Amino acid sequence: MTRLVTRDVVALLGGVLVMTRAVAQQTDARLERLDETTRPAVIAIVDSVRAAGLPVNPLVERALEGATKGAPPDVIVAAVRRLAGDLGRARDALGPGATAIELNAGAEALRAGAGPDVLARLRRARGRQSVTMALAVFTDLVARGVPVDTAATAVLALAATVRDEDLVEFRRAVERDIAIGAPPAAAASIRLNAAAREARPGRP
Amino acid sequence: MFDQFDDAVERVVRHLRRPVSIDPALDQRVMQKIAALPPPSRGVWRWLTARREVALSPLGALGIAAAVAAAFIGVWRMRVTPPPASAPDSALHGFQFVLVEPRAVKVSLVGDFNDWDATRTPMHRTSRDGLWSAVVSLQPGRYRYAFLIDGRHWLADPAAPTAGDDDYGAPSSVVTVGGGGS
Amino acid sequence: MGTSDAALVRRVRAGDTDAYADLVARYRDRLGRYALHMLGNREDAEEALQDAFVRAYRSLARCEDPERFGAWLYGILVNRCRTTGARVARRARRFVHDPAALETTSLPGPADQTEWDDVVRWALARLAPESREAFLLKHVEELEYEDIAQLTGAGVSALKMRVKRAREQLQAILREAEHV
Repeated sequence: MTRLVTRDVVALLGGVLVMTRAVAQQTDARLERLDETTRPAVIAIVDSVRAAGLPVNPLVERALEGATKGAPPDVIVAAVRRLAGDLGRARDALGPGATAIELNAGAEALRAGAGPDVLARLRRARGRQSVTMALAVFTDLVARGVPVDTAATAVLALAATVRDEDLVEFRRAVERDIAIGAPPAAAASIRLNAAAREARPGRP
Repeated sequence: MFDQFDDAVERVVRHLRRPVSIDPALDQRVMQKIAALPPPSRGVWRWLTARREVALSPLGALGIAAAVAAAFIGVWRMRVTPPPASAPDSALHGFQFVLVEPRAVKVSLVGDFNDWDATRTPMHRTSRDGLWSAVVSLQPGRYRYAFLIDGRHWLADPAAPTAGDDDYGAPSSVVTVGGGGS
Repeated sequence: MGTSDAALVRRVRAGDTDAYADLVARYRDRLGRYALHMLGNREDAEEALQDAFVRAYRSLARCEDPERFGAWLYGILVNRCRTTGARVARRARRFVHDPAALETTSLPGPADQTEWDDVVRWALARLAPESREAFLLKHVEELEYEDIAQLTGAGVSALKMRVKRAREQLQAILREAEHV
């Protein structure tokens, strides 16, 4: 009787595991667009990320981007794996309460060169307010050629006191200066000085 | 002349007055372009701008005024027609993506918001100057995207920040939609 | 001494298209200087300049005083620069995204000269377009206020105010730059 129960339990558990995996694989039909070589590797990464409690949609989108752009399987898998690592490091820096959007923005900021301490300090500066826009502005400034340190200094200086809209306007002002020929570092520093003088004390 | 100038501004002016050399190849480009044009003729311009008297009945004048008003109203209505209605969700923001690409036959907007499906968001050519446009409803978040030109060439949005990761050798841009942390 | 502008314009109108090349060569660098300082980079400046020359050719019949062809051409260029400046965000340019291009945007020269170039370009970029336009036409191109008024369509008083404002803003901007 006992052996029978054990066999049944094992079969039941095995069935549950198989069904769970099937459900997990079927959950995201978008991954069917990946080819036979890429799909299983990406699914494995997605599953482990999901199990770790991290958002999986950025990984799916990154894989789909690669597929649409015709990237080879190993390149797609490497990109997805790298993003998975960045999402984990972003959560380490931003804390377990970080939202999926914040983690995605944090992963991008880390990839752009921000140290984990920058993310942690931004979290402290923004309190319970979202850090998404601050992280996005940092990443966008670096993409425009502003040195990492300068961009981090600017965003950290503004994060505690200005609203998301002001951060966006700051970024646009720096981009305008750069587009017309200003050196990126100087543009960011001068705009920071001006923004700091004009900062409104309203809630971020 | 510079008595009232600050020394630094005076230095700027002296710097800006330095001669500048423009690539002489510009001359050839100009001449190539004008070779395709008719010679400038004062005769045609004179004819076009000469004053003339035109006899018009009151009914004829009313008819012309009505036609002009109808044309104006027609154009006005086209310009204020709103973009296609987005889903009834207060968290959605309508974003218009615009690209100038006069030589393209087909432009698609492709990105995280449509699962990088190149068929989901075709852009519409809105002018003869090659202005393409599409409106997408976006929830708060950060989205990577790019334009696909004629199904072959990927183009980042020149008006948007560049996506940092260029994993796939084709540039992308990013748009960040605020309004929430979830 | 070469042929006068008026003589060249008359020859072009009479069908001698090649004569226009002499006018282009004559004004290319001088007008190019204005376009470069107004727009901040060579690519846009050359595009605006080329466009201005082509438009001037097309509308040469409307140049009422061929003796003042240069001033008339200036007016066309000022308008082209305004249009190019407004369009710059939408045009498919690559150079801002191209790290190699970023490294080569400074003019060649000694390190301190390159840095001063950067500061001047950045300071000019900070001026409002209409202030920059008035400042360049008055103090760099050294035109008279009455001529600038004709080119820009603004009144002389308004132009004097714009130039004054531009000088004051430049002073303030350059003082800020010392603290960077």
